Amino acid sequence: MSHENSPAIAVASLYQPNLVTRQTGRAVRDGIERLMSERGDTIAVIDLRDVAVIDFSCADEVVAKLVMGSDGETADSVPRFVLVRGIREHHLDPVEGALRRRGLAVSAERIGGEPVLLGEVEPEALAAWRMLAACGRVRTDELARRLGVDPGSCDSLLAGLLRRRLVRRDGDAFESLAFSASVARRSSDCTSRANG
Amino acid sequence: MSRVIQVPEVLDHKGFEELVATLGGLPGDAGSRLLFNAKHVRWVSPYGLIGLLAAGQVSHDRTGLPPRIEAPDNREVRSYLDRMEFWAAAHEVFDIEPGSAPSHGTSDALLEITPIRSHHDVHTVVEKVRERSAAILEKRLHYPKPSVIQFSVMLSEVCQNIIEHADADGWVCAQTYNYRERLGREVLMLAVMDVGMGFEGSLGAEHARRYGESWSAAMALEAALLYGESRFRDPGRGQGLQAIRRQVEKWDGMLAIRSGDAQIALVPDWDDYPSMQRGLATFPGAQILIVMPARTEEER
Repeated sequence: MSHENSPAIAVASLYQPNLVTRQTGRAVRDGIERLMSERGDTIAVIDLRDVAVIDFSCADEVVAKLVMGSDGETADSVPRFVLVRGIREHHLDPVEGALRRRGLAVSAERIGGEPVLLGEVEPEALAAWRMLAACGRVRTDELARRLGVDPGSCDSLLAGLLRRRLVRRDGDAFESLAFSASVARRSSDCTSRANG
Repeated sequence: MSRVIQVPEVLDHKGFEELVATLGGLPGDAGSRLLFNAKHVRWVSPYGLIGLLAAGQVSHDRTGLPPRIEAPDNREVRSYLDRMEFWAAAHEVFDIEPGSAPSHGTSDALLEITPIRSHHDVHTVVEKVRERSAAILEKRLHYPKPSVIQFSVMLSEVCQNIIEHADADGWVCAQTYNYRERLGREVLMLAVMDVGMGFEGSLGAEHARRYGESWSAAMALEAALLYGESRFRDPGRGQGLQAIRRQVEKWDGMLAIRSGDAQIALVPDWDDYPSMQRGLATFPGAQILIVMPARTEEER
């Protein structure tokens, strides 16, 4: 299966051990958004592997607000995706808490690369996301077969995931964000030591 | 001539209430300096310690003059005040002669008194406690390893409460000690205070209309702690206190938040603190007390 439309990604490796306070979160998010908008990147990869402490407020500013667009606006005008990497056990509570409070979800990878969906998602959609994450890239009919559901139901599950920017569509196939990021043009690497 | 406020001999959360009541009973004449007589203080908790600073700040605000303070006679209390860096913070509140503040001793505190004025101070506090909290939480209080980071998150959120909601400066400190009388175990006590707008003022603009005349400090505390309401309409706000509450419950700890004339508390089985107090002496801002008990062998 060919990859028709390589996305450009912005990788934000957050080298700050303490990712705390709203001001810090805003500064980090502003940096990522600025880069994405300047370079036309479509996938923001937030790498938390070096972050020792992330609090709820900062998780809300960096992850939740980046997922939902900027400062309360919907992201409908710009198709943008967020992938969080380097998730450790102690990141889960703040990041999930911030997402759930807004009814959001984000595609993520644990520190060892295991895919994990954080936030609020219906169980059927979660099952579809997990199967897609395991496949990387797959057509709807193939995913329906693997899930044991009819193609129509599978299509609507994927449409829901796509609407929430939890998967990407590329031609006649759907991709997990981890897969998209792995084949993407890395147009920008931004590192952040923002301190508000 | 200065009017004298007697600081209670035991300056813990109850002593702080006495101090607030005394302060409230004095006429707040502008230009009339107050003297805090702490000579007879023989025991002080972290909450009482920054409570003294908060009371000093309120009297400063009321009279327009920095109050004076008589240092405790008790050697142990003096030493504790030095170690907790009380005098460095007190210099900004009280009228203390330059050079009269004792030098700091070696501190065994988890966190000495640290002013919170901006988010940079929150970063400083989180950085400061990282190594120490590993030694204290894991080794002395026998908490599991992840609790060190969870404590940092809680500390960050509770300090941000000052920056985001108080519109005034505040202080934080944390110390372990033996809570023999009540619990027979060591505890970690974390105290955070400000003398800003308080919960009633902070949430009032957004929520008071809905509650009408019944709106009060107690209702504001319930709205914030129990229902996660915030002064902001943004649904992402207000989760800091909720997170603190969940964490304290998980650790079987005690959380008390005083604001205005009320105090709300999450009370574990080992304590008999009232869950809600109304009609306390009015005091500005918010005063937060968190007590985390050492884990018993069964809990480890």
